[in-house]
Amino acid sequence: MIMRQGQQLLLPANPFFIWGSLLCALLLNLLQNMGLWGRAAWTPDILALVLVFWSVHQPLRVGIGAAFVFGLCVDVHQGGLLGAHALAYVVLSFLAITIHRRLLWFSVPSQAVQVLPLFAVALLIELAAQLLAGGTFPGWSMLLAPGVEALLWPVVSVLLLVPQRRAPDPDANRPL
Amino acid sequence: MPLGTLDRTPPPFFRQGSSALSKLTVFSALALFLMVADVRFRVTQPVRAVLASALYPAQWMVLQPVAWARQISGYFQNLGAAQAAQEQAQRKLGLQSQRAGQVEQLMLENERLRRLLALRTRPDTAARAAQVLYDAADPFSRKVIIDRGFVDGIAAGSPVVDETGVLGQVTRVYASVSEVTLVVDRDLAIPVLNTRTGARGVAFGDAGATGGGLELRYMAANADVLPGDLLATSGVDGVYPAGLQVASVDKVERRGDTAFARILLRPVALVAGVIHVMVLKPVDSEIAPRPAPDTATATARKTTRK
Repeated sequence: MIMRQGQQLLLPANPFFIWGSLLCALLLNLLQNMGLWGRAAWTPDILALVLVFWSVHQPLRVGIGAAFVFGLCVDVHQGGLLGAHALAYVVLSFLAITIHRRLLWFSVPSQAVQVLPLFAVALLIELAAQLLAGGTFPGWSMLLAPGVEALLWPVVSVLLLVPQRRAPDPDANRPL
Repeated sequence: MPLGTLDRTPPPFFRQGSSALSKLTVFSALALFLMVADVRFRVTQPVRAVLASALYPAQWMVLQPVAWARQISGYFQNLGAAQAAQEQAQRKLGLQSQRAGQVEQLMLENERLRRLLALRTRPDTAARAAQVLYDAADPFSRKVIIDRGFVDGIAAGSPVVDETGVLGQVTRVYASVSEVTLVVDRDLAIPVLNTRTGARGVAFGDAGATGGGLELRYMAANADVLPGDLLATSGVDGVYPAGLQVASVDKVERRGDTAFARILLRPVALVAGVIHVMVLKPVDSEIAPRPAPDTATATARKTTRK
């Protein structure tokens, strides 16, 4: 496999971890709504972030179909227009798969800059769909959401790759 | 390094499934179809119900720590605040008790007068207490989720009130939760009556444009509406019982370029941060059915229009 110079060889990803992390992201989204910020429009969509991450790193496992199903779940939870998030996530996942071969050649901060337009496109799609269906404009603070998501990209890249960065042969010096 | 630690299986060359572009096309079309079915034909409720029941355990699990945090913060809440609230409630009770004493007599008088005039008696409505669990996350609408569903006998369309006035209407019912659209949502309209003048009108939710308020539309530019007027439900729609407070008039703009006044209202109920609510039964289950349309007059009207 051709890789960027100095990049660590990764262990194979555990499918249970992939789907578990997606479910956790969904739960975090629910928590942001139910417990922390209510209806605020600027809250980062962690599920979208994790979906893009796995679409980039494991495009054969997590793809457009999964994005569609998770989008429907978010729509049902939010009680808004059914299909708006599904469409936004499908496009997001498609764009992520389109750039996945190129993206991993860059350093993590510059990856964050490159995924920012993806989140912006997803937000615009959702905004257009909801406003066409007769929704209220939620205010300009919603434009913060893609920025926050891009800022969280390095955090997610570190956290979700931890299991794949373990030592293949743990010993006394490298217990994990 | 032991074998099997690295991903040694090569990615499949030929069997990669359908291309990303074709998947994008199929799923986008499906999403668009769902949106149209949701907005235009309103046939997606079964899909929603299935997904909502699948999602319910996750929602329940997330709500538990939230409920604990609420309980703990409530426990540590200032005693002084509780005492102040009680004092305020006592004062309010004192003000109301005088009027409440008159209510018995007024009701009796009202009943006699109604019998004298052979009017139909006003229906009483059954109420059911509920608690607001959380604000629905959709920032494009104004909805809350309450902890009663069709298991508890909640029906779609039921009016929801808090202790001060009308809060909204139940729009979707799931097994053990329901979704309440608030009066400030753009999709909600309430027939109201100005308690000072008795003029009827329709108040529309208008959360976006006026910063979380309502608008009284289709009132003539010279209509007798003053800031501070109290609007109550008129009861003509067969949903809301008559006489519940809805909103007070905030601002009246009379402009020369339109025949209508722009009247902005402030909701009476606590639309942000309400916790305890009452779900009433829609009134139409208790009033007489609508008479069958008179075909003779309908055809007559058609011919005169020609």
